[in-house]
Amino acid sequence: MQTTRFEQVNETVYNETLPNGLQVYLVPKQGFSKTYAVFTTKYGSIDSHFRTRAGEEINVPDGIAHFLEHKMFEKKDRDVMHEFSKNGASCNAFTSFNRTAYLFSCTDKLDDNLNLLLDYVQDPYFTDASVEKEKGIIGQEITMYDDNPDWKVYMNLLKAMYKDYPINIEIAGTIETISHITKEYLYQCYETFYHPANMVLLVVGSFDPESIMQLIRQNQSGKEFPPTPQITRLFPTEQPEPAQAKIEANLTVGLPKCMIGIKERELGLTKEALLKRELTTKLLLDIAFGTSSAIYERLYDSELITESFDFDYSSEKDYAYTILGGDTPDPERLVQTIQTEIEQLKQKGIDQDDFERAKRKKIGNFLRSLNSVEFIANQFTSFKFNDNDLFSVVPTLESITREDVEKRLNEHFVIEQMAVSIVRSASPQE
Amino acid sequence: MSANITEIAFQSTQINGMNVHILPTGKFKTTTIVTMIEQALSEETVTKTALLAMVMKRASARFPETKLLRAHLDFLYGAIFDVDVTKKGERQILQIYMEVPNEKYLSQEDSLLEQAIQFVGDMLVRPHVENGSFLEKYVAQEKETLRKRVESLIDDKMKYANQRVTEEMCKGEPFSLLVQGNVKDLPAITGQELYRYFKEITASNPINMFVVGDVKPQVVEQAISKHVSLERSDVQSLDISNASKQIANEREVIDRLDVNQAKLNIGCRTNITYKDDDYPALLMYNGVLGGFPHSKLFVNVREKESLAYYAVSRLESHKGIMMIMSGIEVNKYQRAVEIIKQQMESMSQGNISEEEMSQTKATLSNQFRELLDSARGMIEFTYNGLVSGRKRQLDELLRGIETATIEDIKNVAAKVEIDTIYLLRDKKGEA
Repeated sequence: MQTTRFEQVNETVYNETLPNGLQVYLVPKQGFSKTYAVFTTKYGSIDSHFRTRAGEEINVPDGIAHFLEHKMFEKKDRDVMHEFSKNGASCNAFTSFNRTAYLFSCTDKLDDNLNLLLDYVQDPYFTDASVEKEKGIIGQEITMYDDNPDWKVYMNLLKAMYKDYPINIEIAGTIETISHITKEYLYQCYETFYHPANMVLLVVGSFDPESIMQLIRQNQSGKEFPPTPQITRLFPTEQPEPAQAKIEANLTVGLPKCMIGIKERELGLTKEALLKRELTTKLLLDIAFGTSSAIYERLYDSELITESFDFDYSSEKDYAYTILGGDTPDPERLVQTIQTEIEQLKQKGIDQDDFERAKRKKIGNFLRSLNSVEFIANQFTSFKFNDNDLFSVVPTLESITREDVEKRLNEHFVIEQMAVSIVRSASPQE
Repeated sequence: MSANITEIAFQSTQINGMNVHILPTGKFKTTTIVTMIEQALSEETVTKTALLAMVMKRASARFPETKLLRAHLDFLYGAIFDVDVTKKGERQILQIYMEVPNEKYLSQEDSLLEQAIQFVGDMLVRPHVENGSFLEKYVAQEKETLRKRVESLIDDKMKYANQRVTEEMCKGEPFSLLVQGNVKDLPAITGQELYRYFKEITASNPINMFVVGDVKPQVVEQAISKHVSLERSDVQSLDISNASKQIANEREVIDRLDVNQAKLNIGCRTNITYKDDDYPALLMYNGVLGGFPHSKLFVNVREKESLAYYAVSRLESHKGIMMIMSGIEVNKYQRAVEIIKQQMESMSQGNISEEEMSQTKATLSNQFRELLDSARGMIEFTYNGLVSGRKRQLDELLRGIETATIEDIKNVAAKVEIDTIYLLRDKKGEA
């Protein structure tokens, strides 16, 4: 077992890669009552075109990764959620574009819960009848999202930005696409992507690392797995420019919602370079549009934005984008004003004081998020999947200079790379 | 590993007429300071309190412009600061929230803790005032923001349905009010009136201040006496009666909106509140019925019949209301109501398995013990004890859950009544 000490934030990470390829990370938290464990596979909604273990190239229905996540909880003679309940644990799972995570939190019976987590995720059980029944439940989940204007404006923006890359597809699929899901498809996806070598287990909270690692080793050595697969995902080539400049939809809302996306042109960054670009962009966004920025103040004073205004940068090797926006009475004018402000900021450059302040803010916010075992658990794995360490955020932030941010400003805030998504009520009376 | 704390034990004292509660703990990398100002929920003051929260956070005497104020917060390593309102039964709580990193983890010489307390003091004692009035510019802007906030309630259909059923079932009771207030009250509120109201509630309404972090209590107390020098006289404890009405018949209310999924909300009166002896049994009742994925509603509405993605029940413990919520296809309305009523009926019959009992006890206890890892959670738990007039220790509550019997739950079930069945549905189909 390896130990990595992060002195500045007073955290220690224990890790080991087991003989079957599973990567295990343990982060003990002094004095906490709760432990949180996440078992994640590098498989999400975008992995819908790939080669099976037999080498056959297949396209699976949209929404299948999420469907599979739902079906993992049901076994032949038991429901996994009830097993966790017996131990007092609360369990959950989620599917994103590029991963599926199974998790629980508990304040008692950690050993039982951890074995349960490993066992149920490594024991698929699908029948025709249970697959059919799930279509009703997931159908209602999809319908719920269809009524959610924040989700709609976000997904539509991805559709505007990406023409072919499957991030433009709904994570849960549609009622039509999930109607094609069968247990055979589920097994094929499971066998391709749920091999331990494609997975990471993370445990954060109150425990002794030695004995927990021993429990995990024992659990895994008692199971047989096929040899490590070569996973071949097949992705279309995405054009660098947005697919369309503007997309609109109608849903009942109090005020129109407007989001601007900026699609990253240059892809393929990995490891430290990827992390540094992510943190530099986030600093830039905060300096430009944060609540203490001059631009925010002008937008708020002119009533073009409300307190719902927000921004974020998503950063992966194969796709990366900024999203900013919120509720606004006048989407068109908001977009135009933001574009003008960006051009003026480029003329003016980044102010040294603003830069220092934003950096302090980011460091403080990061420290605060380390109070939360949920945050650590959820973030740690996505950093790992990009070969980075959550706890190197502070040193990386410290290494960023004002010049780095200014360079990002000119290279990322490019009008041609922008797309706009708007959701408003069909009739203004509603 | 250090021994786990199993009790939420704040040290309480009085400073400048406020109740101050301090909890030193090395668990967190930040210090959290939450100040609660209590007000009776009433038609007359609900909008003023909500607007006040928003105007307060715009400026202070030391930082007379919002941009300066926010820049200072960034400078304090991204201190989190917010002023907001929440509803606890028929009370409206104005809450000032502040969280700063502990300087232990930073190469920082001076005390962020003292600066944070000073900042809270700026809000409570040294607001930005001109000629006895909050700045009209900020008041006007925040009226607009508040109006937008109330109007955007419709964006989230789950929240919207929840507020609508509450309005309908509690008509005439303060609890029916939306905590953000009423848009129609806004035009009449002036900066002057709002400042007068601010002076009034900071002088005489109950104020509780909580501090959680790796701190020394005497240092915190000194900083509070120095920086939060409120002059408080005639501090009243609010006399708040919990309105409850007799239900003759259950009512049905249907709203129509352009939606794909119908929202079914069933509002129930439990006739039990936080301060009552059978409160732990109520927690068990709600847990067995709809609090968890093993609960009757989830199993029967979702798992057995695939009618819904979610089917849950939630308590408002100070008012004694339980809300059952589900998202369904509109043509499954009757079926869903039927199944939900069957589940409630089986609770009344005491039709609860040993497994349901043990699962619910374990998950509920886990939920309460998880509070120990969150500064906010511990503050909330303690404050619930204060506002309800019944201070419960965590251990005591956990014991109450542990020893609850099926008979206790049956007794709770006998008190629970359906008040209003509400459906938010699409505009299609017969009216």
